[in-house]
Amino acid sequence: MAKNTSSSAFRKIDVDQYNEDNYREEEQAELQSAPVGPDEAEITALMNQGRHIDALKTVLRNAPLGSKNQQIKDNALNLTLRVLLAIKASQIEEAVGALDRDLVDVLMKYVYRGFESPSEGSSGHLLLWHEKAYVVGGVGSIMRVLSDTKRA
Amino acid sequence: MAANPLQPYLNAIRRTLEAALCIRNFPSEDVERHNKPEIEVQDSTNNLIGKPLIISRSPLERTLIESSINSVRISVKIKQVDDVDAVITKMYMRFLTQRADQFRILRRKPIEGYTISFLITSIHCEEMILSKLIDWIIQFMYDIDKELSDMKITLSKRARVVAEEYMKQLL
Repeated sequence: MAKNTSSSAFRKIDVDQYNEDNYREEEQAELQSAPVGPDEAEITALMNQGRHIDALKTVLRNAPLGSKNQQIKDNALNLTLRVLLAIKASQIEEAVGALDRDLVDVLMKYVYRGFESPSEGSSGHLLLWHEKAYVVGGVGSIMRVLSDTKRA
Repeated sequence: MAANPLQPYLNAIRRTLEAALCIRNFPSEDVERHNKPEIEVQDSTNNLIGKPLIISRSPLERTLIESSINSVRISVKIKQVDDVDAVITKMYMRFLTQRADQFRILRRKPIEGYTISFLITSIHCEEMILSKLIDWIIQFMYDIDKELSDMKITLSKRARVVAEEYMKQLL
């Protein structure tokens, strides 16, 4: 017969953890060698040559979105912001036009990340980027920023 | 309104809201027959919450939009340059939040670091027209800046008159 105790510790046991159909974050087996982020030297070289749009493409294509290492992500963010802020307001439309759909989504992610750490004058510029990226990507690209697990 | 310097900021907010306010009725997964705004549920295992988005206009002025499957929380930080601004904003927000019931989507307490918060649930979206709801929030943000700066001007005007009257006695 079960022993009667005044202990109520059993109520605190998380029984849900024994469920078989628990939702589990998909373990993304580190497919294709962990992303290391864009190459700073390469981007700087492109920027110095005045090829800002190429720099933007390169930095977005190599964005370490799947990476779990916050340090790499932060480095990539800083680099991307540098490129974004270096491009003049009049060139933004052209730059966004040169990107394909996937890269526009990545761009949108970085624009929102950029808003999180506003500095003098950066927000106004990012608002312009947001506007132009919205024209190309539409609501869908904002939606993907909201819901994507591969965050910038 | 096109020449308004606030416009790009408000546009970005409007577009983000349009994306975020894609919500539906969703019963709680933890408690049977409960239905709570998932965004307000503090739970690290909660996977119904989207990435919180911040739109900033300057270091002093920003909006936080947090979305989940059945609710969206919008927090606004209004620009406060000096102490007078801070006092006026505080009093005004107190006035509003005390009447939160009438505003329906107003949250009684703002999120930390922000001036005022709204909580929109799927019920609100069903009862009201979504596009009008977004319009209202944008209009609110547009008006609030103007209202607060008007109040500040009125305040200093009044202070000047009072000071003048007071000084007259000394003549």
